[in-house]
Amino acid sequence: MKNNKNIWIGEKDLTQQEEFLNELDQEKSLMNLESTADSLPSMKGNRRDFLKVMGFGIGAATIAAGCDIPVKRAIPYVVKPDTIVPGVANYYASTYVNGGDYCSVLVKTREGRPIKIEGNISSNVTKGGTSARTQASVLSLYDTNRYREPQKSNEGVFGSMTWSELDKMVMDALSSSASIKLLSNTIMSPMTFKAIEDFKAKYPNVELVSYDPVSFHGALTANEKSFGERVMPDYRFDKADYIVSFGADFLGTWLSPIEFAKDYASKRVMKNSKNAKMSRHVQVESHMSMTGSNADNRILVKPSEQGAAIAQLYNSVVGGSAPTSGLNEKAKEALTKVAQQLKQNAGKSIVVSASNNVDEQLMVNAINQALSNYGNTMMMASASLQRTGDDAKLMSLIKEMNAGSVSTLVVLDCNPAYDCAYSSDFVKGLSKVKTKVAVSYSANETSVLCDLVAPKHHYLESWGDAMPKKGSYSLIQPTIAPLFSTRQTEETLLRWAGVDMSSDEQPMYSYLTNNWKNSLFASQSKYLSFDNFINNTLHDGVFMSAPGSELSYSEAGINFSNVTKPANSELEVSFFETIAQGNGEYSNNPWLMEMSDPVARTSWGNYLAIPVHFDGYNKMVGLNDLDDGDLVNITINGKELTVAVVKQFGQMPGTVALALGYGRTEAGDCGTGIGVDVNPFTNQNGNTSYYSADVQLGSSLGKEKHYSCVQYHHTYGVKALDNDGNMVNADEQALGMAYGQAGYQGALTDRSVVYTTNLKDLGEEVEKVQEKRKDAQFLNSKQIYRGFDAKYENGHHWGMHVDLNACIGCGACTVACMAENNVPVVGKKEVSRHHEMAWLRIDRYFYGELENPNTVYHPMMCQHCDNAPCENVCPVNATSHSTEGLNQMTYNRCVGTRYCANNCPYKVRRFNWLDYTTADIFPVNQPTLNGEKTPFGADDLTRMVLNPDVTVRVRGVIEKCSFCVQRLQEGKLTAKKEGRKLRDADVKSACQTACPTGAITFGDFNNKGDVLDTKLQSDLNYIALEEINVRSSVTYTIKVNNRDESITA
Amino acid sequence: MKSNHLRRFGFLLVFAFGILFAAQAQVSADAGKTLFKNYCASCHAKDMKSAATGPALAGAQERWADDEALYNWIRNSQGMIASGNPRAVELWNQYKPTVMTAFPDLTDDEIGSLLAFINGTADGSLGPKKEVGSDISASSTVSKSSSNWLYYLLFAGLAVLAFILARIINSLNKIEALKEGKKYHDKTVMETIFSKGFVSFLVFALVIIGVYFLATNAMHLGRQQGYQPDQPIKFSHATHAGVNKIDCQYCHDGARRSKHSVIPSASTCMNCHRAIKKGSKYGTAEITKIYASIGYNPITNTYIQNYENYPQDSIKAVYSEWISQNYVEDNELAAIDAEGQLFVDNQWSDIVASLTNNVKKQVQGPIEWTRIHNLPDHVYFNHSQHVTVGKLECQTCHGKVEEMEVVEQASPLSMGWCINCHRQTAVQFANNPYYDSYQAFHDEMKAGQIEKVTVADIGGLECQKCHY
Repeated sequence: MKNNKNIWIGEKDLTQQEEFLNELDQEKSLMNLESTADSLPSMKGNRRDFLKVMGFGIGAATIAAGCDIPVKRAIPYVVKPDTIVPGVANYYASTYVNGGDYCSVLVKTREGRPIKIEGNISSNVTKGGTSARTQASVLSLYDTNRYREPQKSNEGVFGSMTWSELDKMVMDALSSSASIKLLSNTIMSPMTFKAIEDFKAKYPNVELVSYDPVSFHGALTANEKSFGERVMPDYRFDKADYIVSFGADFLGTWLSPIEFAKDYASKRVMKNSKNAKMSRHVQVESHMSMTGSNADNRILVKPSEQGAAIAQLYNSVVGGSAPTSGLNEKAKEALTKVAQQLKQNAGKSIVVSASNNVDEQLMVNAINQALSNYGNTMMMASASLQRTGDDAKLMSLIKEMNAGSVSTLVVLDCNPAYDCAYSSDFVKGLSKVKTKVAVSYSANETSVLCDLVAPKHHYLESWGDAMPKKGSYSLIQPTIAPLFSTRQTEETLLRWAGVDMSSDEQPMYSYLTNNWKNSLFASQSKYLSFDNFINNTLHDGVFMSAPGSELSYSEAGINFSNVTKPANSELEVSFFETIAQGNGEYSNNPWLMEMSDPVARTSWGNYLAIPVHFDGYNKMVGLNDLDDGDLVNITINGKELTVAVVKQFGQMPGTVALALGYGRTEAGDCGTGIGVDVNPFTNQNGNTSYYSADVQLGSSLGKEKHYSCVQYHHTYGVKALDNDGNMVNADEQALGMAYGQAGYQGALTDRSVVYTTNLKDLGEEVEKVQEKRKDAQFLNSKQIYRGFDAKYENGHHWGMHVDLNACIGCGACTVACMAENNVPVVGKKEVSRHHEMAWLRIDRYFYGELENPNTVYHPMMCQHCDNAPCENVCPVNATSHSTEGLNQMTYNRCVGTRYCANNCPYKVRRFNWLDYTTADIFPVNQPTLNGEKTPFGADDLTRMVLNPDVTVRVRGVIEKCSFCVQRLQEGKLTAKKEGRKLRDADVKSACQTACPTGAITFGDFNNKGDVLDTKLQSDLNYIALEEINVRSSVTYTIKVNNRDESITA
Repeated sequence: MKSNHLRRFGFLLVFAFGILFAAQAQVSADAGKTLFKNYCASCHAKDMKSAATGPALAGAQERWADDEALYNWIRNSQGMIASGNPRAVELWNQYKPTVMTAFPDLTDDEIGSLLAFINGTADGSLGPKKEVGSDISASSTVSKSSSNWLYYLLFAGLAVLAFILARIINSLNKIEALKEGKKYHDKTVMETIFSKGFVSFLVFALVIIGVYFLATNAMHLGRQQGYQPDQPIKFSHATHAGVNKIDCQYCHDGARRSKHSVIPSASTCMNCHRAIKKGSKYGTAEITKIYASIGYNPITNTYIQNYENYPQDSIKAVYSEWISQNYVEDNELAAIDAEGQLFVDNQWSDIVASLTNNVKKQVQGPIEWTRIHNLPDHVYFNHSQHVTVGKLECQTCHGKVEEMEVVEQASPLSMGWCINCHRQTAVQFANNPYYDSYQAFHDEMKAGQIEKVTVADIGGLECQKCHY
């Protein structure tokens, strides 16, 4: 069914459910207060308690007021390093690496402690972009659960030991071992490989086995057959006009998402509506992934139909007779059309697949070869090395372990007891290994089963390097001295190999540079001296050498009988990786745990995405009549799990989906016990496969206690039906009830929140929007307070531009914002009560077809209205306007009336309901995230991540986006000190620098001709809620899609 | 009888106004004091008798030919110089290139008040207590109490007035009652005092006074003007910045480039104190603390290797030797005597006490100074903005540090104090192209509509300039 009229945020909005309309704005509802009263023991009391508390309070205040001010110390350096000026941030180029995840970064340090990660624009891979994972990595440095010293297991109970004891025990075990195995995730570092080589030199019977938490085995094996090397191609989405993805979430989680997002967006944005061009992106999947949500067309196929779908395209493009039986007719038809269009875009297209089936991947390779994409949009010369895991080797290792033929296993910072499909076999086998050593950052399911634990540095404490692609290198340099008695993996291996490093103060620096001297320095001609070479490379963070040679494609025999046959079952479930959690690698990071999933907008747990269908009357019914937040029993491969569900538009009927990476049992305070573990279901007869067709779904067991989905929180501009069935604004509907005349402010009934259009109708839509803007501007000019705009023409006038065509919803900005502005994490229960504190949220809207809608991501932060409704309702002037157009929030004036939040048309103001920053002395006000002993943030270690330039807010005050005012002030000061005009480049907000696609532009409206001003010239621009005359400073663009209406599936 | 009452009432009214009028003249000198503090005190000496950045103000009124010229001078000194007024030119030649700030907004009355204050202070009838001369101090006490006396008189007058009015009402009521033939009972004094009206008035007055004091004192909570703690080293700014004229920013090198001015590290001290090993006042007692902190052996002129792990006994040996050598030298002894040994031991234990505390048990390591200037956590203050961009002297906020033996907090560091300065201080518009974006102000200045652009004009009073 087509819904032409409107955008919708979800099913409750679409069908105008009463409870939803009533609770549109939690700030208004009494629910919060009531549930607070229930949950806090201190709130339950009688008159006498009240008097007691009051008496104590007055007494305490009197005593406190009478006390002397505490003496504070000012402690200078003994010998001041010449590179550090207290109060001035230093930036160091480094590299974020976690398994196969890669990002070249700049680390911001203050007084020697890393507090923020920025992208490195010198990198040719990530090009200055970051991801949510990268942004959050700085918090894990200060993880209270990390190992602080070497550990020894005494029948499962760990006690600390010294490094020399550990080294001796391990070396004794190694030298008497007949078979030593190293187990790791993908390694991209030449230095690590060198260290392993040196390790092998001492212990020749060593074998390295690598695997990936989310397997790429199928694709890698197929590439090995087609090209002779186990590598992934270097996809160039910036050259692709036509993209077909079979379930690959390449913008979010697949292979190199930061790089792909940047390239992809370059083909999606347009300067203005004239001669606008964009790529077409077709996603073939069952569950709406973030990449799928950005696609123009989604072709719905069940997980088991993926193979047949690839076969269908293979037959149409390459010409062949791959079996396609069982593929749904709609998809068949659609893929035939796609094949035609692909052929027209030969050499300018990309076909990718996340399938882990070798023969399916061989078909994909054949399709790309037939379309002559290799060498044009997919480079093998600069092939990606970001995933190189080998499941076959892992399986034979597990077999050997179970056979008892492995004497020593060294687990190099990976977690196979949780995140591989064969975890149960692995655990069984592990008990038969004589010596089990884990090199691990914090306790996980694997390390707790080992005998010895060698704790490892954080990447911000290590030296190292990475080669994400052939010819692209980057360096890792430490930005802080090791916080605890830990050692980086390579050093640990080298010490076990008996390498003497006692005389060297920085042994790993020497090791790294020696390695580079012998390999890369010799191969380049730009720098004459090695010092010059290494110092410049350290400064830039990256080094590019000539890529390898182009690999030639050779036809490999495809065994069609191995292609997955569509299952004939009523319900299938797919398992997918989320941006925030990976396959559980990021579970113990509260920023990532609280970050809502871009599509489902759930946090703190994996929710079963279920399809919805229209009941023909007024309701979108979930599968089995399930509703959001219902608990349900799901039986997968005969094993029953209880999960909460979320109704998901775009989820194919007959399928459900559940995220990987949850349900960890040993993940530290934040991650343990959140959600359910689905990794055991990914083992399909020895092949890792992320779906199951053996699924039964029960009916509702009642509601989840704390349903933490933020989709219906802080909504605005939502429409409702009035008594006569006409569309009116929801807020106005309430007004109408009070005054008996709904919609009396005519201009407000059709609010401008998001505009969407198909590329072919762009001109028309632009005209319509411009017309509407003109109307709104005319009405706005008819106000009684005129002439204030001129005020902002003197000096600065800050503004922002958000390109919705570039925004892919990845959420890097939201985590960056939390890091930059000390935004607290509140925990599952608080999220369920609408109390999440994020200053920047990414609203997700659907439009188009109900069954298979398109999506808009709409980053929403304080709009810094120049006629701000929040300002004139504050009784204490805690929020006021600056001459530079900033809507200022002064925490120390705020008394917490929340009038401003109620009056904010965009719903961007957040209230500190409890003491989320653990700043006050009453523990009852401090919520825990996951029942931890010390609330998150209450210890000095975690507080090291705080930005010292931003006030930590206390309970009872409102906060909201400040346009990163601390950065504005810093940028202004820099320009003043240098005695020059301010450029837009001086002032970049945290969300802007984090964005991998450049969707956000910040600057000064008065800087004519500069970056922001240029963006404002586009005719695609509009202002959200322009008609209500709040004079927002944020401009958005019309969201354009390139949907082919003839493809219906 | 009635006319008699009225006559008495009229007399009292005249009396009361008389008191008010007398108070008026006094109030203007008080206003002058505030004005002086706000506008003049940063350049003119408070005693009116010594010259500072600007000339001594005592007798200023006499030195000028007429008041009008003086008033114009105060409002726009540059204009007066340009117009060629001989006194103005004379002053300019004496003090150039220092320009007297223009105060175009001062009214005649305000300048009058200022001059009244200046003259009053100069001739000793007003102003701060002098330290020398018992007769002067006596006279100033008298003048101070005389100003209070006027207030008391005013209060008493009003109280009498209130009493008389009450009596009138009472009398009228009595007449009324008698006319109507009712029995009228005169209230006794006790009855009046315990009457509802009087008691509620008293409570009301007490509440008002209480709230006033509470608010004023609450506002001062946490402020530490005049805070002058003992420091681990008796470091004398008077010696370093005053006598030796070392630039503030030589040691506080963060002030020009960072938000923090930075307490100098021991290594900075060593730049000079490698050579200057004994202080003019305290000999080895204080400078040895630097050596003990950083690990410098003043006898051999070398840094001690691996000093972090150096045993405390060995440290003691090194520096005791140094102190005793100097003791021997200073007292021209052949060898250390018992008295000298005691001296050395005492000095060393003082050094140890200064460099260690409950947390820091070792002598080596940073010197933990007591922080004097503390801003609350929710205030963002940046030194470089004020020093490098605003070109302010350190003394503007920190007082005459170069005269302080022990540093004290000279300014209140209150928000009102910050705001006040932001209101008055002109932005350094000249020669900084950054400010080109404020085109409107440049135009207005060129057109002569405004004299200067204050920090407040470009948003210096807005909350989020300092709180974020």
